[in-house]
Amino acid sequence: MEIRGSVRRLSGNKDYLQRGEGSQSILTRRYDSSLVVDRLCAQANGHNTAVTCFYFDFASRKEQSTTSMLGSLVKQLITGMERIPEEISRAFQEQKKAIGGCGPQLNDLVKMLQTITSLRPTFMCIDALDECVGVQRVRLLDSLKQILERSPATRIFVTGRPHILAEMEKRLPRRLISLPVCPTRSDIIGYLRVRMGEDETLDAMNANLEAEILETIPNNLSEVCVQAIILRTKSHDIR
Amino acid sequence: MSRYTISDNTNCLNTTNSINVRNYFTIPDDRSQLLAWLSPLEPSLRHRDIRERRVNDIGEWLMQTEEFRRWVGPGGEDEGDTSVIFCHGDPGVGKTFIR
Repeated sequence: MEIRGSVRRLSGNKDYLQRGEGSQSILTRRYDSSLVVDRLCAQANGHNTAVTCFYFDFASRKEQSTTSMLGSLVKQLITGMERIPEEISRAFQEQKKAIGGCGPQLNDLVKMLQTITSLRPTFMCIDALDECVGVQRVRLLDSLKQILERSPATRIFVTGRPHILAEMEKRLPRRLISLPVCPTRSDIIGYLRVRMGEDETLDAMNANLEAEILETIPNNLSEVCVQAIILRTKSHDIR
Repeated sequence: MSRYTISDNTNCLNTTNSINVRNYFTIPDDRSQLLAWLSPLEPSLRHRDIRERRVNDIGEWLMQTEEFRRWVGPGGEDEGDTSVIFCHGDPGVGKTFIR
């Protein structure tokens, strides 16, 4: 009971609390996404390379439509440009003539991204694609396929739960690298040490409890992670 | 001429900025409207939030994998085969500890 209470307190951040299932995995994936974005940005610095990101969130699914998501990618890509591509500026001016103006259409956004990503190498990092649901995900994957067909130098980094793997392989045939993600033991211990160091309830922690947490949690998680490692080995064999 | 960024758009009444961008295809007012028209979403804010809570060095292993290096690399004749990498985590990992 004591260790569970401590863990509940240590894990009291939004990423853990939002979901009951697989939160450790989601937390790690989300951190991986932001880490990859930052590493790519560091590499792109000084080079003619663009990096964009998007974080899907099931709670925001109504706002995060395919068009608003792709529109935000276009927005990120042109924000740093001195000149806005004429195609985009023209589409913006044209829509003003419609009744009260209207948002960009999916086909228009795909064409915009095809144009922009052809100008320079582009990385797109999409977190938690499984939280983009239903027809929105279908439209997004088909849009990404169209972009890649016109811009083969574009690289797309996606995280999500494994149940969408088959769908991704179907929608993006012959393009996909599958990489199971599982926190390493040192990742788990490092994370726990930091969170315990930030714990404001000092009276609840002692050396014995800290040692028990650092021993118990990585061991139990590691057992589950064996399955992911096996899965990863199998995916290597298949390729 | 300095690079024009979205932050410049926040002050559309700044005549200096207007002069700086007089040769661009769009004027500052139009530019900020255009960006808002494209999407109301700002994923950079979410990225900033996650980055602040990230623990140093966790997840570094991912970028050392052969799969990631193949994806991020320049690619070869079969460049299209490595254009998408899907990193997936198994549901249920760790759920015992959050209940």
